[in-house]
Amino acid sequence: MSMLIGWLKERIPVSGDRLREMTNEPVPNHLRRWWFCLGGTPAYLFVVQVVTGILLAFYYQPSSRTAYESVRYITEEAAFGWYLRGVHKWAATLMIAAVILHQMRVYFTGAYRKPREINWMVGMCLLVCTLMTGFTGYSLVFEQLSYWGATVGANITENVPVFGTLMKRMLLGGDTYNANTLSRFFILHAAVLPVTIVLLLGVHITLIRLQGVTELEFEDQEPGEQKHFNFFPDHFLTELMIGLVLMILLSVLATALPAEMGPKADPMSTPEVIKPEWFFYVTFRWLKLFSETTAILSMGFIAFLMFIWPLVDGAIRKRWKGSEASVWVGLFAVIAIVGLTVWEAFVAH
Amino acid sequence: MSEEVTPTTPPPADPSQDGPAPGCHAETPADPERRGFLGSLSSLAMAGGLAAGYGTFGCFAARYLYPAHAAATGWMFVCEVGRIAPGEALAYKLPDGAKVVIARQGSSGAAEDFVALSSVCPHLGCQVHWEGQNSRFFCPCHNGTFDPSGNPTGGPPKEPLPRYPLKVEDGLLFIEVPLEGLA
Ligand code: HEM
Ligand code: FES
Repeated sequence: MSMLIGWLKERIPVSGDRLREMTNEPVPNHLRRWWFCLGGTPAYLFVVQVVTGILLAFYYQPSSRTAYESVRYITEEAAFGWYLRGVHKWAATLMIAAVILHQMRVYFTGAYRKPREINWMVGMCLLVCTLMTGFTGYSLVFEQLSYWGATVGANITENVPVFGTLMKRMLLGGDTYNANTLSRFFILHAAVLPVTIVLLLGVHITLIRLQGVTELEFEDQEPGEQKHFNFFPDHFLTELMIGLVLMILLSVLATALPAEMGPKADPMSTPEVIKPEWFFYVTFRWLKLFSETTAILSMGFIAFLMFIWPLVDGAIRKRWKGSEASVWVGLFAVIAIVGLTVWEAFVAH
Repeated sequence: MSEEVTPTTPPPADPSQDGPAPGCHAETPADPERRGFLGSLSSLAMAGGLAAGYGTFGCFAARYLYPAHAAATGWMFVCEVGRIAPGEALAYKLPDGAKVVIARQGSSGAAEDFVALSSVCPHLGCQVHWEGQNSRFFCPCHNGTFDPSGNPTGGPPKEPLPRYPLKVEDGLLFIEVPLEGLA
């Protein structure tokens, strides 16, 4: 054994101490509170998505002639295909929910403030990539709702000023949904976006390491209490526990509420009741409330405002010291988003 | 390929040995100004080469990804002009399976007599359908509505339903439609 270790050490010149120092970040005590682990959850779920996604891709065939049939095969015939598909679908749902909750946690604790503005922007890019992965993945099944969702989604990009037509043609591989569209969606979903997410996560985590997690004070903290605990093994074990709970949860959800198949896509008829996935209910309702250009420009503006919020907030707090504006803006945004989502969920049209 | 190359690990750096490695000739100091100029010239050439090389690759890749041509359309024969009397309509099936209603409103015999409404909603591309009880076209995606001649009457759509181009040649009616569909 020691011979093997010696052999390896000669070839891989890294010392155990340095490795420990590199990975063993001291973690502030408030991370013992579970809601601060919401950042680790989407990362864990992402790994689940990569594993189950690769497995699904063994049978999935991205073309309008074969896609629906291959998903049917995965769901009904392939051994445990229903389970893997169910886990992939539920982990996608939980991942998006976890990203949103993580972002809310960062927002309401003010953790995006100086010097962490850039990491907030990286986080916004991660949010956009995750939503796009959800959108392209949903479209892969080639059922009625996902087909029309993809059509509407692609036509939305067309309204972006200047680059709209280019963006839409690049997304669809043509002017309308055509024979090349599904392969584009597939390669975006299974390669381009996941790789982008990995790169962004790398930057995200590097910045966290460089800046340290925001230190927070809590009232129930004893004055002399130790402020940090070790990433390894303490925080790592917490994350392992969360991972186990998530795995059980995913399995239960995939079994109790399995991924189903709606009617196959029919380009000749839009179903009477059409809905996107739940995380797009907000934008869907918004599109019904305003005319095309107003809706799309305002959505773009809101997204841009979210992106640069740390700078806006910085300016506000410079002008009015101790301003709590961000809390009110955040509360308003959450209420508006939840309100529009619930509204869309409960009416047919 | 005459010399045998044996991979060896370099000996650990020894601070007392910082002269040039044996076999390397110490350079004779050249004119520093000329050297600086040549240096920046070669950096420039390198940067230019890299930019040109990867730039070309990037352009090729972007061009490759950009969809080749707009969906092909073609003129299809519908019927003789006289087959549809003014005030009547005919259902016509397109190559991609879509149904188009071609209605005749005038009696001049020119293409302007005829209207072929597309069922693609001008808002975001869903299929509208005819609601007999309300005499309107309804788009289920964002609740758009259109009157029988395709003008928007409610919801987000601001433009009328698109019309297929029609032409009359030698008393024969033609319609311009996409030649390929999904399937
Ligand atoms: C960011 C992570 C990801 C998210 C949020 C995500 C989300 C989704 C969603 C919502 C679906 C539709 C599920 C359904 O209705 O059945 C889907 C399908 C699919 N995904 Fe992913 N996915 C992710 C990563 C991946 C990766 C990394 C791969 C492959 C390498 C992959 C491969 C597939 C395949 C082949 C399908 C179609 C089969 C099916 O629908 O069951 N996914 N994805
Ligand atoms: S696509 Fe028809 S109303 Fe939006």
